Amino acid sequence: MGVPEHSHMAEPSAASVRSFDDEALPHLDALYRVALRLTGEPAQAEDLVQDTMLKAYRSWRQYRPGTNAKGWLLTILRNTFINSYRRRKLEPVAMDLEAIEPHALYRAVESTDPEGNFFGQLVDEKVLEAVDALPPDFREVLVLSDIEGMRYAEIAETLQVPVGTVKSRLFRARRLLQAQLYAYAVEMGYIKPKDGKDE
Amino acid sequence: MSKPMDCREAGARLQDYLKQELTPELAAEVRDHLVRCRGCFGHAQFEEQLVQLMEARARKQTCPGDLRDRISALLRAEAEES
Repeated sequence: MGVPEHSHMAEPSAASVRSFDDEALPHLDALYRVALRLTGEPAQAEDLVQDTMLKAYRSWRQYRPGTNAKGWLLTILRNTFINSYRRRKLEPVAMDLEAIEPHALYRAVESTDPEGNFFGQLVDEKVLEAVDALPPDFREVLVLSDIEGMRYAEIAETLQVPVGTVKSRLFRARRLLQAQLYAYAVEMGYIKPKDGKDE
Repeated sequence: MSKPMDCREAGARLQDYLKQELTPELAAEVRDHLVRCRGCFGHAQFEEQLVQLMEARARKQTCPGDLRDRISALLRAEAEES
């Protein structure tokens, strides 16, 4: 590859500074959004984004212009999170989400509110909380796929896992998310639990 | 002539279908099934709507202006150090 010995110390040239502004800065919103879901709080998310951008700038030479800048930045963000930010949080109180039947939310919505009024409102109020309640491995796949619109292959590359793993984690993540939303809906009195399966 | 897709297979492929990750041929088969099957159509619509609502809600959060400013200042300082 012929990378010069101290290239990691060399500062980006003026041209590459401009290209960083053009190619990397537009993704700040995405980086912040993902950082919020990973850290769960705005102050940490801001620090994480700041650290990420500094790292990205310093390794800008390693990025091939015109290739997937968003994915490249998100990889740095996610790795920085894992190496420096992730700490053992108290696990949320385990609701027995697995006991909630997979299509419970769909059925409830369909039968009680086919126009989706409460659905729209419940989701708006609670969906991010539900996302944050997911175990990290599932949460990050869901976030990258459904919020950031990334394809399987992109996610696989960002997380350094096989595509098959991405697919199955996304499937489980969405199921868990729906179970969590169903639990909130019951809690908030939107729907009555069936057969006493739910708390 | 292959058999039309059944609910089990359409359900198994639904995630890939909604993410537009299927080949055109498979996507067409799933679409054909959804058009013919009210139950699966309802499911598909639900899944799609949930993702759309989640995405819309999450995308309301944007990078705060003062964070942008701090980052720009940091990067400028970094550039000036060379």
